[in-house]
Amino acid sequence: MNAHTIDTSAPVICADAYDATVFYADPDAIAVVAHTTAADAVALPHPDASTAELLAAAQEAGRRAVPAPFAETALVARPLLRRARLPIPDGPLSYALAPDLTIRYAHPAASGVGSAGCSGDDDALLVTGTLRRVPWARAAGAVVVLATAPFGPVLFTLTPDQAVLTPGANLAGEPRDDLHLAALEIPASQVRRVPPDLLEEAGLRAALARSALIAGAAERCVGLTVAHTTARTQFGRPLSRFQAVKQEEARLIEETALVRAAVQAAAAPLDTGVPAARFAVAAAKTQASASAAEIARIAHQLHGAIGTTRLNPLHLATTRLWSWRDEDGDETHWARRLARPLTAANLWPALTTEP
Amino acid sequence: MSPATPSPIAFPDVILPQSASQLRTEVRSFLDEERARGTVLGRPDSWLAGWDPGFSRRLAERGWVGMALPTEYGGAGRGFLERYVVIEELLAAGAPVSAHWVSDRQAGPSVLEHGTDEQRRFFLPRIAAGQCFFSIGMSEKGSGSDLASVATRAERTTTGGWRLTGTKMWTGGAHANDYAIVLARTDETEDKHAGLSQFIVDLRAPGVRIEPIRLMSGEHRFNALHLEGVELPGSMLLGRRGDGWKQVTGELAFERSGPERYLSTFPLLVSLLRELEQRSVTAEQLTHVGILTARLHSIRRLSLGVAASLDAGAPADIRAALVKDLGTRLEGTLTETVRSVLPTPADPHATPGSHPELLAFALLHSPGYTLRGGTNEILRGIITRGLEQH
Ligand SMILES: Cc1cc2nc3c(=O)[nH]c(=O)nc-3n(C[C@H](O)[C@H](O)[C@H](O)COP(=O)(O)OP(=O)(O)OC[C@H]3O[C@@H](n4cnc5c(N)ncnc54)[C@H](O)[C@@H]3O)c2cc1C
Repeated sequence: MNAHTIDTSAPVICADAYDATVFYADPDAIAVVAHTTAADAVALPHPDASTAELLAAAQEAGRRAVPAPFAETALVARPLLRRARLPIPDGPLSYALAPDLTIRYAHPAASGVGSAGCSGDDDALLVTGTLRRVPWARAAGAVVVLATAPFGPVLFTLTPDQAVLTPGANLAGEPRDDLHLAALEIPASQVRRVPPDLLEEAGLRAALARSALIAGAAERCVGLTVAHTTARTQFGRPLSRFQAVKQEEARLIEETALVRAAVQAAAAPLDTGVPAARFAVAAAKTQASASAAEIARIAHQLHGAIGTTRLNPLHLATTRLWSWRDEDGDETHWARRLARPLTAANLWPALTTEP
Repeated sequence: MSPATPSPIAFPDVILPQSASQLRTEVRSFLDEERARGTVLGRPDSWLAGWDPGFSRRLAERGWVGMALPTEYGGAGRGFLERYVVIEELLAAGAPVSAHWVSDRQAGPSVLEHGTDEQRRFFLPRIAAGQCFFSIGMSEKGSGSDLASVATRAERTTTGGWRLTGTKMWTGGAHANDYAIVLARTDETEDKHAGLSQFIVDLRAPGVRIEPIRLMSGEHRFNALHLEGVELPGSMLLGRRGDGWKQVTGELAFERSGPERYLSTFPLLVSLLRELEQRSVTAEQLTHVGILTARLHSIRRLSLGVAASLDAGAPADIRAALVKDLGTRLEGTLTETVRSVLPTPADPHATPGSHPELLAFALLHSPGYTLRGGTNEILRGIITRGLEQH
């Protein structure tokens, strides 16, 4: 299981090393900022692990706010490479799905017609355009791209150094970089023709990976909030003893359990195939994205002022929730996809289909 | 929260056994037959309001009432997960299941666990045959959330029986059912949770007076159950004298965890989809339907997790409380969302079964969803109390 470990030495506030109670115990204490250490590394499961195992690991990565493209590698890039029968490189990977690119044959056949060429001597491609907001592009050993080539759906890989990189970030400061490709030649050895449904599978994988991260960040919100309301005293009692606090805390726990259940329920269907996974994954990402706001709201409300600062690790989870809910399709996008095929007659069968 | 202790967040993911899908198919074809008969009408809240003893009996003939009871007592000896499949199918279809609901969900398991062999032999086969219907006599005027404060008394008679005096409130179906399980004080104790006992009261016995209480919709579903010196034989004590509180709280995981705690208004969503099929649907309407569907799906997964815990004999009260709070809030949200997706004036006098009538019905019943079986505020207290142990 411990085949690969992603380096987590990027500079961030080390959430696990930070103890909020110190702040209250010692009024002079300022932020305890540390860097992630090897102990924070989350092992990347073996590529052969089941989706359920990969999801559990991604959830843990989300809980710890691991500063690396863990879920992107384990649940999206690697399985796609495998499906396309391309070798899987070690280390962090990323992906770009259906980007707006101009793709031509790099070596159009002499008999080819038109500028794009209707056939090539081989499948080497010439790619121009921008891959937008690629997760962790600057740290990724390779980026898996799923797009449409002159011959149909294609998967190819490139390395970030082959592109011009414009750095970007999400609310949590996670890299979301643009990669500009100017007539980049992708050798045929890195190009694979793929079945059309691989693009849909890729979208489902990305959405479910993101949902697992959200479930993990939500769990972090629960852990931090419970610890905080137990430790923090006002009016001579721990906050957790107040009815009003309990009521909100219970809702936080419920919403988190809900997201987690939705993510778990999509694991087996994804292993079964695209048709089985459509409903379960759309439901998981809809639920995960839709719950993010309430989870972040309650966690912040119960933390009070310290939660709004970098003195406390809560922001590691909540800023991720606010970003991740939008990434790989927000709840509006997935809710529509979920609802479109539903009818009065098939709603209940859809809810009760077993993988 | 150490990983070793089960966390209230992490529910087991349940994959139903193969037998479940066969069972589901059988229930669906039974429901088709009943639909053709005109008994299954897709109505919301059918476990409270769908009263049809004939339907209950036909269901029992298939072995689907008391189906988790052992075969030696007339049950089908099947697990909670299989029972779950049957009842979720019935509720989603809006089938009239209220006559046998409490017998099947609560009275049966309770008599099995706490009853004497004589009680088991008498009640369980009748329950499983769909011929013995129970009510719950817990709440009183002064005892709602604070149930342990009940004032109904049971005194020993000289002949070794019991005499019950007091008034139970909101007793669902008491005017139509055969028996009620009544919680009464048998002993004065320091600790108010001690000294309580459960009794099986024949609702036709002398001294039982049933006074209708109308719901705001005008329906007669529940009652004030006056116990005016009702004499019971000694054999009608259920379980041990003084163990009433323990027994009642033991029942709660069953009472709180089932699919009826999130499916009460599901038929209204089906009705909405039927309406939308006749129109061109906007992206916004789709979004609302999708968000509701995702939540239903997610809550169902949690609810199945509770059924699996019960099946495995694991403690499930915290999880049951969690699912019930989520599920019953969804029942209300569903109604409000349906209303905003397809603005229709709710009309209780519209054609029965039409969308405006179903909307009115679901709306008029809505305040009860988050009250019955323990209010949501109380449930949330249970969830956080559970957390402190982790
Ligand atoms: C449709 C329906 C069917 C029912 N059927 C039956 C039946 O068949 N048999 C039966 O015995 N009972 C039945 N009940 C009664 C039900 O169990 C009670 O309504 C419930 O336990 C709440 O009690 P109460 O109504 O007295 O409210 P109260 O306990 O008076 O509560 C009123 C409000 O105060 C809140 N509250 C109370 N205590 C606390 C606290 N400690 N912390 C925070 N908030 C608190 C409650 O959450 C609620 O919002 C039924 C109720 C309904 C609505």
